[in-house]
Amino acid sequence: MSHFMGFHRPNGDVGIRNHVLILSGTVYANGVVERVADTIHGAVPITHANGRCQVAPDLRVTRRFLAGTAMNPNVGAVVIIDHFKEEGMTAEDLADDIAPTGKPIATVNIRGDGGFISAVEKATRYAQDFARLISLEQREAAPLSKILFGTECGTSDTTSGLASNPANGLAGELLIAQGGRLLMAECTEWMGCENWLTDKAASPAIAEAIVAGVQHMEARALASGEDIRGSQPTGDNMAGGLTTIEEKSMGAVKKIGDSAIIEYLEIAEAPSKTDSGNYVMYGPGMGAESISSMAAAGCQVLTFCTGGGHTSNHPIMPTIKVTGNRGSFELMRDTVDVDVSGVFTDEITLAEAGQIVFDEVERVCNGYLTKSEALRDNNSFAIHRVGPSI
Amino acid sequence: MKTVFVVYATDNVGTAVLEPIQTGDHVSCNGERSDLEVIAQADIAYGHKIALMDIAAGDTVLKYGLSIGSALSDIKAGDHVHTHNVESNRGRGDLAERAAASE
Repeated sequence: MSHFMGFHRPNGDVGIRNHVLILSGTVYANGVVERVADTIHGAVPITHANGRCQVAPDLRVTRRFLAGTAMNPNVGAVVIIDHFKEEGMTAEDLADDIAPTGKPIATVNIRGDGGFISAVEKATRYAQDFARLISLEQREAAPLSKILFGTECGTSDTTSGLASNPANGLAGELLIAQGGRLLMAECTEWMGCENWLTDKAASPAIAEAIVAGVQHMEARALASGEDIRGSQPTGDNMAGGLTTIEEKSMGAVKKIGDSAIIEYLEIAEAPSKTDSGNYVMYGPGMGAESISSMAAAGCQVLTFCTGGGHTSNHPIMPTIKVTGNRGSFELMRDTVDVDVSGVFTDEITLAEAGQIVFDEVERVCNGYLTKSEALRDNNSFAIHRVGPSI
Repeated sequence: MKTVFVVYATDNVGTAVLEPIQTGDHVSCNGERSDLEVIAQADIAYGHKIALMDIAAGDTVLKYGLSIGSALSDIKAGDHVHTHNVESNRGRGDLAERAAASE
């Protein structure tokens, strides 16, 4: 079995990065979070618009996103900041969720700690200590079976389904052959090819969950008063040549290969299994929410297949952009990592494209920075909402 | 001669992934249908689809060997195939309303 060099966590997880995460518990802590992260070497801020006045089911999903992100193996230590007493999701509640990972955690409360200036000072001192503490950790060998590999597509065009996505499916098969796990979300984009997916389901319960997940997403769109065609495919999909949601879906689901689907997950839920194979997750086609749900589920690395060229990059989960559109690669050379357009001109076979993607994933697991990481363009943390603000 | 890419042998559309196509161009197929040749009846932009054979209104449009929707009107071999002449069969709130109204 092949190995990669990663950061071994107390609970047995292995990270491919070693971040100090500065995490907002609520929208009202965002200012403090950003100020602290500005000061600390290697710190990554995660801010968002949630945490207050949410209905209980919606708050539970937010809590899963935030705690899951902090539990991700790429996070070495966490400082959580909230502003008063956030009902149902205090900084302490989040710390309790994260504690089983054994990683260092500190909490700061802006009101309790004496306002903005005192909170910034306290959190900055925690973060400084954590940054130095985790800087002592060295990369050590770990089997590729420790990798949960997420895959996403966005700003798709006709090349996506024909080159970057199937190449990714083949890369996923190479990882699965090494004992790894591949996770695909975006159940909106399974619509029209449920049978293709249920044929791979390892059990009838998984097959039923796949069909029910698509129906649930379709019903939610209809309940908004619009059918799903209003937003899927998106305008840029159609400009790229994709005509219907079915066409988009077939291209999209080719991001996974032929291995069995062995678990169906709710949004931002960590797998309960460690067996190699394909995993699927309920969630929207909205890219930032989707990749954030996969980071919260524990994915250390993600491939983002794109036709038109996409800027998405998650703050703590390296996001490798892969395209089959040579024009997009040329135009977005500082942003898109891998070009597999040679498939169309017979320069490479699809199998070779799969190997190219796999090799890039392996390099990034060993510490190679993606283009967007090098630019610190950490634009894609977003939390899926399942209820209104009250 | 221009070339389009055909993913699956039973497909009735090909995709212009190698070069854009102009009206009147002779078009051959890479991939699974090297036997087919059509004359473009419209400009086909990069990434867009061309009909490889006549597709009657209501018939299924096939790519990846699977349905990507139904023809809204009669489509001739060589026509541009896109949102103006194909509709999705999924996510259709209007069809659900019509079915409910006719009950």
